[in-house]
Amino acid sequence: MASLIPCPHCGQRPKEEFTVKGAALARPAADASREAWFDHVYLRENPRGRYDEHWHHTSGCRRWLVVTRDTATHEIAGARDTAARTETAK
Amino acid sequence: MSAFAIEHRAALSGKIPLISTSVTLQALPEGHVLHVLSANAGDDLSGKIRAAFGAETLAVRFVSPGQWFVVGDEPISAAAHAKIVQKLKPHADVIDQSQGRVRIAIAGAKAASVLAKGTAVDLALNAFPVGHATTTLIGHIATHITRISEDRFELMVLRGFAESLWDELAELSAEYS
Repeated sequence: MASLIPCPHCGQRPKEEFTVKGAALARPAADASREAWFDHVYLRENPRGRYDEHWHHTSGCRRWLVVTRDTATHEIAGARDTAARTETAK
Repeated sequence: MSAFAIEHRAALSGKIPLISTSVTLQALPEGHVLHVLSANAGDDLSGKIRAAFGAETLAVRFVSPGQWFVVGDEPISAAAHAKIVQKLKPHADVIDQSQGRVRIAIAGAKAASVLAKGTAVDLALNAFPVGHATTTLIGHIATHITRISEDRFELMVLRGFAESLWDELAELSAEYS
């Protein structure tokens, strides 16, 4: 069920409580080339399948989470706090 | 000292408590709401907070990792507030939210049924025991819910949403009254 997100702090919550920021990508180094930064900010591979995404539990604990979601099947593999990095069981 | 005396008006002063056999809705006195924030999200400070306030267990409520609300029906004087801030200084910061958040009590055999129509949180006693607190949506309003006893909950919302939430709860509980 894509509409239920397993928040590590609050338990299962509907997606309406969250704000999605987008894919959680590794940032280039601060002194990386212009091309690398342009690529990071503007260009996306956009493959089908599993993603790590940043979700903010806006109407709940107000923590940023990393949600692992499959864009093809809408299955949620797990969610963890961006700071604590603790995986929660589905 | 401010040049103008500000008159305090309760956000829900115009609302008459709704009382029926299975659900009652009541605006609580706007005493104090203090937001305690720790720099370390992993710390459980609830014991230290209770000691600093001399508060009872249910007055200290979990918000999110490293954050708690401390609530009560009586206003806290500036001197008492300063003392609490001083006591908690090594562990956490205290922010006064007394003018910013309003509490509503909903109680009765059907209280959980009324809330369940507005929120997706599991309100079963084993999943949401007495003393448990969490923030969730009731309709479109972010609400902090605390279970006070088996059939009594306290809701807390930002002041500007209090009237909307009250009206919504009144409508949700209409079928039981």
